[in-house]
Amino acid sequence: MTPYRVLAEALEAVSGSRGKLAKIGLLADALGQLEGEELTVGARLLSGSPFAEWEQTVTSVGWATVARAASAVTGWDLDTIGDCAGAIGDLGEAVSLLVPEHEAEGPAILEVDAFLRKLGKQRKAAEKQAAIEAILRRTSPVEAKYLLKTLSGGLRIGADITTVEEAIAKAFGEDREKVARARRDSGDIGETALAARGHRLAEIRFRLFHPIGFMLASPIEDVAEVAAEAPIYAIEDKFDGIRAHAHRSDERVALFSRTLDDVTGQFPEVARALGHIPGSFLLDGELVAWTGQRPDSFFKLQRRLGRKEPEAELLAEIPVAFIAYDCLFHEGEALFEQPWEERRRRLESIAASGQLMISDVFSASDAAALERLFEEARARGNEGLMLKRRDSSYQAGKRGRAWQKWKKATATLDVVVTAVEQGHGKRAGMLSDYTFAVRDGEEFVNIGKAYSGLTDEEIRELGTRFRKITTARYGPVRAVSPEVVLEVAFDTLQKSSRHKSGFALRFPRIVRLRPDKTPADVNTLDDVRELYTRLTGAPSAPPAIPDST
Amino acid sequence: MTDWLSPFIEFRPEGMYCGALDLYLDPPAAVPRALLSHAHTDHAAAGHGEVWATAETIALYRRRHPDWTGAAHAIVYETPFQASGMTLEAFPSGHILGAAQMRFAAGDRSLLYTGDFRRRPSRTATPIATPRARVLLIEATFGLPVFRFPSRAETETRLVAACRETLAAGETPVLLAYALGKAQEAAIVLASAGIPSVLHGAAWKLLPEYEAAGQAFPLSRAYESAPMAPGEALIVPPRCARTPIVQKLKKRRVIYLSGWALRAASRAELDADVLLPFSDHADFTELLEHVAEVAPERVVTHHGFAEPLARILTQKGVEARPLEEPSERHTEED
Repeated sequence: MTPYRVLAEALEAVSGSRGKLAKIGLLADALGQLEGEELTVGARLLSGSPFAEWEQTVTSVGWATVARAASAVTGWDLDTIGDCAGAIGDLGEAVSLLVPEHEAEGPAILEVDAFLRKLGKQRKAAEKQAAIEAILRRTSPVEAKYLLKTLSGGLRIGADITTVEEAIAKAFGEDREKVARARRDSGDIGETALAARGHRLAEIRFRLFHPIGFMLASPIEDVAEVAAEAPIYAIEDKFDGIRAHAHRSDERVALFSRTLDDVTGQFPEVARALGHIPGSFLLDGELVAWTGQRPDSFFKLQRRLGRKEPEAELLAEIPVAFIAYDCLFHEGEALFEQPWEERRRRLESIAASGQLMISDVFSASDAAALERLFEEARARGNEGLMLKRRDSSYQAGKRGRAWQKWKKATATLDVVVTAVEQGHGKRAGMLSDYTFAVRDGEEFVNIGKAYSGLTDEEIRELGTRFRKITTARYGPVRAVSPEVVLEVAFDTLQKSSRHKSGFALRFPRIVRLRPDKTPADVNTLDDVRELYTRLTGAPSAPPAIPDST
Repeated sequence: MTDWLSPFIEFRPEGMYCGALDLYLDPPAAVPRALLSHAHTDHAAAGHGEVWATAETIALYRRRHPDWTGAAHAIVYETPFQASGMTLEAFPSGHILGAAQMRFAAGDRSLLYTGDFRRRPSRTATPIATPRARVLLIEATFGLPVFRFPSRAETETRLVAACRETLAAGETPVLLAYALGKAQEAAIVLASAGIPSVLHGAAWKLLPEYEAAGQAFPLSRAYESAPMAPGEALIVPPRCARTPIVQKLKKRRVIYLSGWALRAASRAELDADVLLPFSDHADFTELLEHVAEVAPERVVTHHGFAEPLARILTQKGVEARPLEEPSERHTEED
């Protein structure tokens, strides 16, 4: 029975080491001590993941649940726990500074696994809290720290999953490419580690219905970045929907989202349509709202998201379609390593049945042709273009230069912050979530909320300021006096009843602080209406929608 | 709450003010007459007309502000003086060289202002005294239970061990320690282990004041005097962490000496390898100890985690409130 402390101490050492090689060495040392089930679980925990990626399990533990458990174990009231997390910057780290050192041996690795699986099954926050309390009473500071970091979904020790892959390769004398392939195909760093130890990596095969990571594209700002080598790319419209992997065997169809969640039940019409296509395959593609033979706006699709079992009226009002653009597995054969051209050939062969919608593929020889394609894509209601190297393999879970996305950020707005909230995960304890507003006469009307774009340092400095200018507190939300001006960029502007302005920004991100501007200088609601008209061609009636936030 | 501090301290736009003595207490900007608890810049602003402080603090203030032309009035620890029916007495605060707590008394009322303080022993500061007072105005820089520092002996052992390991690996130990107080303490700790240190100019220029107080720095030299040699440790202020003086040392191990080192995030912020909670401030335990020993009827907390500390003291049955400060000041020397 190897104690969890071995892993926690290894993670602490990794956190304190400089350079990837040192981190790999420390992780490899820890992995080398483990075998069997302890190795499987240990590799997952060292990569910060409580379960195998393919498992449809999450611990679902909220910040407040952990804070309450910490309060019960340490004897400090919740306010003090919250203040400590804020001061230290991380709840797990704060708790590790509040629990006493233990003489007795803490939980074993397999006990931690059982604890995490129990959390995955429990539905009530009170039950989860009791389980966390029970284990915290047995853990030393370093164990508490990494257990809680695992629950919050990020170890932040400067080692990602590829670092663990390299550590597995080093620990067991395997090739790291083979380790990476086995991890992708198995969807489990734990199973991969165990196979590497037994030199059985080649036996790992991709299995349908184990969700795998999505290949991601790098953004380009300017067509000039790719124009010179335009002919090497296959070009497709960039659809304004959500990515999905469609798994299909003789018996079953499943759709997985980018977060590797099973979303099959949310899109019954898509699952039914895929079920009519013969064969077994894994397709990458886009779920889009579908109106009149063309993709509709993301805003419409949004109303379908998160509905486990959409009712018939909604299905009729907003039908959803799946547009496939890649084929990763076909009739028992994994195609990840195949070039895009070959994967496309397979995709077209499946579409030959006439029952699968696939993307149109274009070519361009120069910048002018790319610009023309871009405008045509926009005219079709799509976001922009995807450029995919014709010779590229499918790099699951990675963002590389083989795929590029080109969309134009429409504009930026200067806004003022009206409310702030503590962030989660990496930014737990920091006031990092901002609600912001534009000016409407003497009033400020909210138009969106954004989470990122500033450095931790900036967020901390602003946090001090926000604490001072707080005018009211509603649970975790602080209303603040409108003083801090930000510049936000966004992809599109849509009408929305969520905010008092009657508009919402899609994918807002903070570009920079504008200390040079005062709240009087921020954009007005009239500016927003004008922008909306310019962007959509549609007139925007003054909104008469009550504020629902 | 102002009534808790009366008749000793009132608030004016310029800061805390003692009317009977016509003195501002650690004012954030220049005033005609200032009473300074110690020489850190967040307590000792430049350009005051007249300064009341310990002789060590005055000497450090002069060194940092060579062009200063104001008048200085030296206060001696535990030597009360009176004006307008009020008694002022300075006591060592254990924070840095010359640092003082200030006790005000009039009739049966008394107020102790701690300034920045530390109860654990130090290499360079006069050991703290614990006078009684009916009201305690206490700093709360580390006023949360997460801030508990290891013993002085353990901290020094860890510092020396980290430096020795670094040197043994053929690398340069780089200590991030602010220029007034911590840099000199670190140099003395290293010297006691036979490790030579190279000091950033901001710390080096203050050594005469430390030498005048009886400290010796036989193994230290100024950074400007020669390039770094093998076997030497470099001591620079934290603000230098990302500047060439540190970054150009390719083989280095950066050791951050501060109570804030308990925040793992400081590793990334300062590009540091070793985080050592080596502080000139009281940790949470020392704050509670000081409250218990001064045994005041009322406590006012200020600076740092004033609000949580007041709440925690209240929970423990001590009548306490945070000071409503018009503005917060934060510098590297917190």
